[in-house]
Amino acid sequence: MMPDPATLGAILLMAIVTYATRIGGYLLLGDRILSPRMTAVMDAAPGCVLVSVIAPAFAAGRSADLIALVATLFAATRLPLLPTVLIGVASAAMLRFMLPA
Amino acid sequence: MTGMTQGRSMPVPERRAELARGLRASLPVMIGFIPFALVLGAQASAKGLGALEVPILTGLNFGGGSEFAAIGLWTSPPHLLLIGGVTMLVNCRHLLMGAAFAPYLRHLPRRQVLPALFFMCDESWAMGLADARLGARAGRSQPFSLAYYLGVSIGLYATWVAFTALGALLGPVLGDITRYGFDMAFPAVFLVLLRGMWKSVRAAMPWAVSLAVAIAVYLLVPGAWYVPAGAVAGVLAACAWARP
Repeated sequence: MMPDPATLGAILLMAIVTYATRIGGYLLLGDRILSPRMTAVMDAAPGCVLVSVIAPAFAAGRSADLIALVATLFAATRLPLLPTVLIGVASAAMLRFMLPA
Repeated sequence: MTGMTQGRSMPVPERRAELARGLRASLPVMIGFIPFALVLGAQASAKGLGALEVPILTGLNFGGGSEFAAIGLWTSPPHLLLIGGVTMLVNCRHLLMGAAFAPYLRHLPRRQVLPALFFMCDESWAMGLADARLGARAGRSQPFSLAYYLGVSIGLYATWVAFTALGALLGPVLGDITRYGFDMAFPAVFLVLLRGMWKSVRAAMPWAVSLAVAIAVYLLVPGAWYVPAGAVAGVLAACAWARP
């Protein structure tokens, strides 16, 4: 099973970008004091991306999906990963069965 | 080049003990990595990545948040600009982490530091830094222990690569993950990741901006543009709201 060249290209690009972020702070910023604005931006950016990636789940038109999402959100605020995933999957499955589209 | 000699000064048995101490310390985090790794591997295989491609991805990139984000947006063929941009945005926190690390790495030569930084993830960084601060308080002449940090890193890296590969092998057995509600696993993982990043309501306000803009763009514009649009809107909000 040969890896797909387009997939490998994307993986390589990710690897280069990620490694650049890992050494960039040490090489370029190590002796510099960052402005509070820059710090705030870099603090917020990862969460901004993650929440944007899951935006379609919040835009679901189906009430079963939205209720399941609320249940998952509630679980995520107080439980570890595995139970949260199980609650998310189980609630989505049950609610879709009980509330057909 | 005093840095060179200091970097090598630790005797081998001591270095080995430090490596083992790091490995032991990483154990609880290794266990915590396993479910994330399995879910990522399964999601990647659902997007068409093979059981070989998944460990190549996680082994070369080794950044869970960016891998989840990339897999969520993965198409065949993948959109390079989107994947590269999202990877940059998710991982730009490494810049801050590396800058915070730098003062503790001054005594080490770059040919040791640059490879070691490949393994810098949130957890290995936090543990290495915490150990260095303890070391400084205890009066260690070189507070940062490279061998300890590498011990932590080896444990976490091996766990991540091995269990994402396992997830990719098990994924196809589960079948189409959008049936039976398995698609909800994806937001669930992200919400748990977000909780880990949570600092305060104020610090999370840019996330709300991102979410609102991303939803609007998702509903109005075809394609995956909702991700860069939401991310950039949130980052601009963070920039505007930052205390001067």
